[in-house]
Amino acid sequence: MIAVPDAATLGAMDAKALNRLEKDVADQFMGGVPWGSVAWGLCNLAVWLSLWPLTLMGILPLWAAFPIATLNVMLCYLPSHEAQHRIIAREGEPLFWLNELVGYVSTIPLVLPYQVARLTHYEHHTHCNDPVLDPDAGTKAAGPWQSIANSIAYRQPGSKGQAAYGECLARLGTPEAQKAGVQALVSQLGYLAVLFGMAWTGHALEAALLWWLPRHIGVTYIQFFLSWAPHHPGTGNGRYRDTRAFRSAVGNIGSMGMQFHIVHHLYPRIPLMRTPAAYWALRPILEARGCDLERL
Amino acid sequence: MRKVLGGLFRVMPLLFGLGFIGPLIAQILTLAGWTLPGDVAPLAVGMVIGGVWGGIATLTGRWL
Repeated sequence: MIAVPDAATLGAMDAKALNRLEKDVADQFMGGVPWGSVAWGLCNLAVWLSLWPLTLMGILPLWAAFPIATLNVMLCYLPSHEAQHRIIAREGEPLFWLNELVGYVSTIPLVLPYQVARLTHYEHHTHCNDPVLDPDAGTKAAGPWQSIANSIAYRQPGSKGQAAYGECLARLGTPEAQKAGVQALVSQLGYLAVLFGMAWTGHALEAALLWWLPRHIGVTYIQFFLSWAPHHPGTGNGRYRDTRAFRSAVGNIGSMGMQFHIVHHLYPRIPLMRTPAAYWALRPILEARGCDLERL
Repeated sequence: MRKVLGGLFRVMPLLFGLGFIGPLIAQILTLAGWTLPGDVAPLAVGMVIGGVWGGIATLTGRWL
């Protein structure tokens, strides 16, 4: 492990030396396959899929399946997020197929196609907190309760938030973005076809409690902890100002590692499960740079 | 194709009300064992509530 000097020494370092040190410290946490995230993504999907036959065959009661399904939706985004950043494997590497598999399948419960998530997420990184160009800027809110209210408003059929990802893809205008738009359309129609089909064959409640309601709760959770909380107040711009570290009332696991989200924005290729260690190693440097580290 | 899909998504709240909310309400009423005055079928109640709610959501752009 590279030793980070004390605050006085860091303060006396020139920008180039500080950049070098920061990168060297961060580099220690990159590389290797994050097997934990791979297992997380695939097992989470397998559990969610298994809930359907288990409840339809009467093996598992719906009241027990509902909280599991809700947890599955809440958990399904982050493994795909690792894939979006090619953390599992890069293009040309032998395990790139696994990266893409995790990316494509893990967000099925969320009805968020991988390429839509990937392209819009890159735009979020590039234009973080920009009210027009950041597709996640709509989650900005004055406080936690307003964030939850915003998330619900965001999903209303006529809301601007509902159109944000589509507008982002249209703005990109590349063949890849057009393809992602088609994938979004197909997945949305597929989702509705399943809900309608289940409903008209006498299984509306199963569809509601295994997918529709868990998805709404999951999206609210994800927008709160993955989008609002780490970027709050959502006004900073630039590498060291557009996100923060914060102490969550529900801890690191309850907030799915987002307390250390600042590390992800600085070094997106550090796997999620290594961001806490990377944060503590980088903290003196981030403090010297004046980052918002709240009480963490 | 684009026009057809655009039109379809514009009225999607109404379709959702009829295609999903209606049968969902009917199933809940049946499971709860509620009998309705005049022996009105639970599905009829569900379709009226789902259709009206979905129609309002289509016009106003808001479910809530």
